Amino acid sequence: MTIRIKPIFRGLAATLFTLALGAPQVMAADSVSLTLYNGQHKEIGEAIAKAYEAKTGIHINIRKGSSNQLASQIIEEGDRSPADVIYTEESPPLNNLGELGLLAKIDDSTLQVLPKEYVANNGTWMGVTARTRVVAFNPKVIDEKALPPSVMDFANPEWDGKIGFVPTSGAFQEQAVAILKLHGREAAEEWLTGLKAFGKTYTNNMVALKAVENGEVAAVLVNNYYWYALKKERGQLDSKLYYLADGDAGGLVTISSAAAVKASKHPQEAQALLAWMASEEGQRVITQTTAEYPLHKGMVSDQGLKPFEDLRPPKITPADLGNAEEALELEREVGLL
Amino acid sequence: MSAALPLAASTTYVPRRKRPSIWVVLPVLLLVGLSLLPLLYVGLKAWQAGLHEALRLLWRPFVWGLMRNTLLLMVGVTLACAILGLALAWLLERSDLPGRRLWGVILCLPFAVPAFVSGFTWVSLSPRFEGLGGAILVMTLSKYPLVFLPVAATLRNLDTSLEESARTLGQNRWGVFFRITLPLLWPSILGGSLLIALHMLVEFGALSILGLQTFTTAIYQQFELEFSNANAAMLSAVLLFMCLLMLWLELRVRGKARHVRIGQGVARRAAPVRLRAWTPMAQVFCLSLMLLGSGIPLGMLVYWLSVGSSAAFPVADISRALLSSLSLSLGGAGVSLLLALPVSFLVVRYKGRLALWAERLPYLLHALPGLVIALTLVYFALHYVPVLYQTTGLLLLAYALLFLPLAQAPVRTALNKASPQLEEAARTLGATSFGAFCRVTLPIIFPALAAAFALVFLDAMKELTATLLLSPTGMTTLATEVWAHTANVEFAAAAPYAALLILVSGLPVYLLTTRMYLNRA
Repeated sequence: MTIRIKPIFRGLAATLFTLALGAPQVMAADSVSLTLYNGQHKEIGEAIAKAYEAKTGIHINIRKGSSNQLASQIIEEGDRSPADVIYTEESPPLNNLGELGLLAKIDDSTLQVLPKEYVANNGTWMGVTARTRVVAFNPKVIDEKALPPSVMDFANPEWDGKIGFVPTSGAFQEQAVAILKLHGREAAEEWLTGLKAFGKTYTNNMVALKAVENGEVAAVLVNNYYWYALKKERGQLDSKLYYLADGDAGGLVTISSAAAVKASKHPQEAQALLAWMASEEGQRVITQTTAEYPLHKGMVSDQGLKPFEDLRPPKITPADLGNAEEALELEREVGLL
Repeated sequence: MSAALPLAASTTYVPRRKRPSIWVVLPVLLLVGLSLLPLLYVGLKAWQAGLHEALRLLWRPFVWGLMRNTLLLMVGVTLACAILGLALAWLLERSDLPGRRLWGVILCLPFAVPAFVSGFTWVSLSPRFEGLGGAILVMTLSKYPLVFLPVAATLRNLDTSLEESARTLGQNRWGVFFRITLPLLWPSILGGSLLIALHMLVEFGALSILGLQTFTTAIYQQFELEFSNANAAMLSAVLLFMCLLMLWLELRVRGKARHVRIGQGVARRAAPVRLRAWTPMAQVFCLSLMLLGSGIPLGMLVYWLSVGSSAAFPVADISRALLSSLSLSLGGAGVSLLLALPVSFLVVRYKGRLALWAERLPYLLHALPGLVIALTLVYFALHYVPVLYQTTGLLLLAYALLFLPLAQAPVRTALNKASPQLEEAARTLGATSFGAFCRVTLPIIFPALAAAFALVFLDAMKELTATLLLSPTGMTTLATEVWAHTANVEFAAAAPYAALLILVSGLPVYLLTTRMYLNRA
């Protein structure tokens, strides 16, 4: 018995040692590998990593989280951040990081291929794709004619139990800020209070959309691409998309965006990845994985979306949305978070 | 006593009060320090935010709502489990129900299914199971064996002479049950119930899937919104307080839970109560408990597996998750064991303040929510030990803290039985203290070490919360994959991971537990 124990413990120690130190060593053995903090959907990050590694041989490690979480994480990490590039579902978290001086300026050649209004004024982040806020509804539960012209109406008592929303989603928070900019703080607070009282909350947009599809709720506030993603998976959907009236906050256009982290140890490779993501090739990879609008000048989506120029969004730009901190503040005030 | 009976005193061994070796002291000090970190974290964050702001974050309607949900869930599940567990234990131990041995084995099957997996199967059956009612139902069905098993064991070993005396004194059956049997069972019922109450406080995965907002899910939500912020810390403070309160209650119960039987010989087993016309009802009760407790979770899982297999099975992803689950659990079990050994050693062989701390440590750790441990480790690693940040090492450290209570119990029992005199004999023959330990004590306690290793390994496989927050970039495990797919309502995609989890962790745990149950029979 005594003879057998020593090798067992030696084996155990060796296992632990490899486990604790093995992972980083394997990474270090590669020439260069980039760390991407991905707040966008998992599949999109994976599609980018796969296509980019096939093209350049550079491996991308993905840390998946929510956009807000990852941006806050970079603030907390400061100059120790292991992230090279951050890709978020919304622009406000990156606006915040840019203001705090945690992002590197993106190469002009990269920014030039994108429309000016979808790029940070100080060049620290770039829009990657655009999408629009919509209402998804189930015609079996509610008639399209019964849907209101403005998203503001959903906060009224007649929508009790019929409207769903996702208070933790960044896009919802952007929508709340848009309402604040368009109608004032009081109106925004009233809207959130009404939604809290009468609406159903969901943990994420896909859950909300599936609830509409199953007829559990009449309509939900989501982004357009969720509906296309579900349609792609199921072939046929009961639910439909409803675009709100011209210039209403319910039709807000938001963008996914990306930036290079200042603390990155591979600034050149990070810039190269951003350039590829803005390029026609990168945009094609991304917009074939998700039904969003490419932002590369002159490109259009091939996913059968309502044409981008036919959308009638309110005049609210990512710059107007700022870092959207008022949204969290308001949501906490009314007790949604 | 020793003056009056010098002979008796010389036969019991009194440990020498020498100073313990540095290799015993250091790990224990490290663990004590680490287990106090969550309190430090909460305090530090409150101080950073300012007292006024901290109180403002705590005292708002949102937190009241969390408190309401958490308390209702805890009370509801604990009560339901206590009643269900007691009824079942009585039925299977004291009645003449046909097939009761088999029922005992079948009705422990919920042990094989992690709570978040059974949560996912119920939600996938119908969204009506979301919310408080559904959460109470699902959690009760997955936790009642924690009351049933100890109560059944106590009932089986209960001396029936007390009950018979009460009968001869004119009590009817109900009178005997309430005045004699129930008080005797009280410690086991209370012990199991408090454990369940604590589980309800720290449960995250299942409640998140069942859509019930409690302190744990709200803390995670804050983490997702703002990483490690004052809000998350303040909610953690409330949760910590509630957990420590449960711990205090548990320790009080434990201290008083002792019934002494005077007399010699073996306790006689009670004559089974004849159910007669009630037999079919009792069978229906067991059958429906089986259908609800394990039938629905396992059945739904099989359904989603058959639906999913029509699509492409992501074999590469699945094997990657399996591999990291296996290696993390192996590592976690190893680290837990390495730390459990000095802790138990100190408790068993030494006296003094540090030994006292070592004695209390497992209880304290047991009451710390995994989510709060993880938040704390992220914060301190990032700011004070950046080398550890986002490494497997940090995650293994969290596992060690979470699973030390599990690992130390068998090690401690075995060390208690390994006489230090043998080791001292080896010392007189020229062995060093470490050598004597390795060559004498280690072989004696080896089976217990193996058991502890297996226990932690199996339990670590289904760890979700700490893994979600601490896993190195790009690493996924079976548990996190189940959780991620369920969060996106991709039930068929979650099914293979959940099935593997049951196969490699749930079933072995179940077999170990029911074997203990059967062995005691």
